[in-house]
Amino acid sequence: MKAIIKTISVLLIFISTTVYSQDLTQLVAQCAANAGNVTYLKDFVVKLDAGTLGGAPPTARFAMILSKNAMYRFSICTAPDSEGDAVLQLMDMNRLLGSTFIQATGKEFPYFDFKCQKTGVYHVFISFKEGKAGESVGVLSLVKKF
Amino acid sequence: MLKNVLIVLFIILLVISCKSGGDKSETLEVDESELVEGDLEISKETIDDIIQSVSSPVEMAALVKDLGIKFSNKYLAPTDHVDEISTSFKQALSLGIYGADLGYLNMYNKTASVIEYISAIKTLADEIRVGQFFDFTTLKRLAQNYQNLDSLMYLSLRSFNEMDQYLRDNDRSHLSALIITGVWIEGLYLATQVASDAPHPSLAERIGEQKIILEKLILIIKNFSKDSQFANLLEELNRINALYKDVEITYTPGEPEPKEENGMLIIIQNEESIVKISDEQLNEIIAITKEVRDKLVGA
Repeated sequence: MKAIIKTISVLLIFISTTVYSQDLTQLVAQCAANAGNVTYLKDFVVKLDAGTLGGAPPTARFAMILSKNAMYRFSICTAPDSEGDAVLQLMDMNRLLGSTFIQATGKEFPYFDFKCQKTGVYHVFISFKEGKAGESVGVLSLVKKF
Repeated sequence: MLKNVLIVLFIILLVISCKSGGDKSETLEVDESELVEGDLEISKETIDDIIQSVSSPVEMAALVKDLGIKFSNKYLAPTDHVDEISTSFKQALSLGIYGADLGYLNMYNKTASVIEYISAIKTLADEIRVGQFFDFTTLKRLAQNYQNLDSLMYLSLRSFNEMDQYLRDNDRSHLSALIITGVWIEGLYLATQVASDAPHPSLAERIGEQKIILEKLILIIKNFSKDSQFANLLEELNRINALYKDVEITYTPGEPEPKEENGMLIIIQNEESIVKISDEQLNEIIAITKEVRDKLVGA
């Protein structure tokens, strides 16, 4: 009997993982579609636990090479049942280039465009406001060459 | 009681079979005896970072299209010998090459050929046990329906990214490294062949910029070079790299400039990279890239 209960538990965990992964797949598709008339390049699926009191908010980091003379769009979509609201930041080394949330004004953007003039390695950082736990998807798309 | 439990168990199994929508097994065992990860000189995290960072299969094709260059089949790798590609090393490398070609075809909406390349990719992906990420039926349906070209592009790129992520998550980064090397070499081949047929400063600059990516690729391929196949690939990449030695990339500083247009945020980067590549250097890169790529395609 115990073995049966164990098996059922394992199966239930597996189902929830499968459903979770399907939800995120849908969120990626939705987020890519929301980015508009652009070409999808990559996505960044993020699930983070809440941060500790007074500590830096947990952050997911993704590296990418961007090319000169290209316009990229960085979109962020928070999962419907996420506790925290996701923020996507684009960094060049330690320099902040752009963010979907402007702390000074409190303004939020579902995406921002980046007119790249320097080919090189950049990083996307995704975190949740106030260090809350959350799930989100970031999408990198190609807008056009210029 | 036991009967009820069995019924519940049966329903759960039924739900799983419906929900999984494919055979994305996480426990696939692969015989990759000819490829040994061995002791890595750089961390797995660094390798993953480099693999993840390498440009998408469509970026070079997008540049070529934006320059007004017409589509040509001659830039594509032939798919007729795909069934003869027998080792996982060659399968992964070819998967990357065909992936770049698929990006080129998608960019030009060449749906008839897209099916041929998706089919080749699916065959190779099945061989290295990642075929579950390519929903061939849906991709084929989208390719046959001219109204869903954006979906076709999205789904094929997303499948490619999912496959790469799966390989890296399952300690098969050596295969991911080969796939991105294939993507990169085919992208460079496309750019250099187009540059040869229709020279353009933007193409020359983009080819020169590949120095940055090539250095990173060499770093990861070198990491697996205890294996003789990787050592041979490294040798080929080093042939190209030698030609990049005198290609100069300089930078002019500048601060990013945010501006809002119609409620949209646009960041303009004022820091700039400048590539200095001579015609002679470019011609050498064109020639050697063709040699290396043809060797890899015919391997």
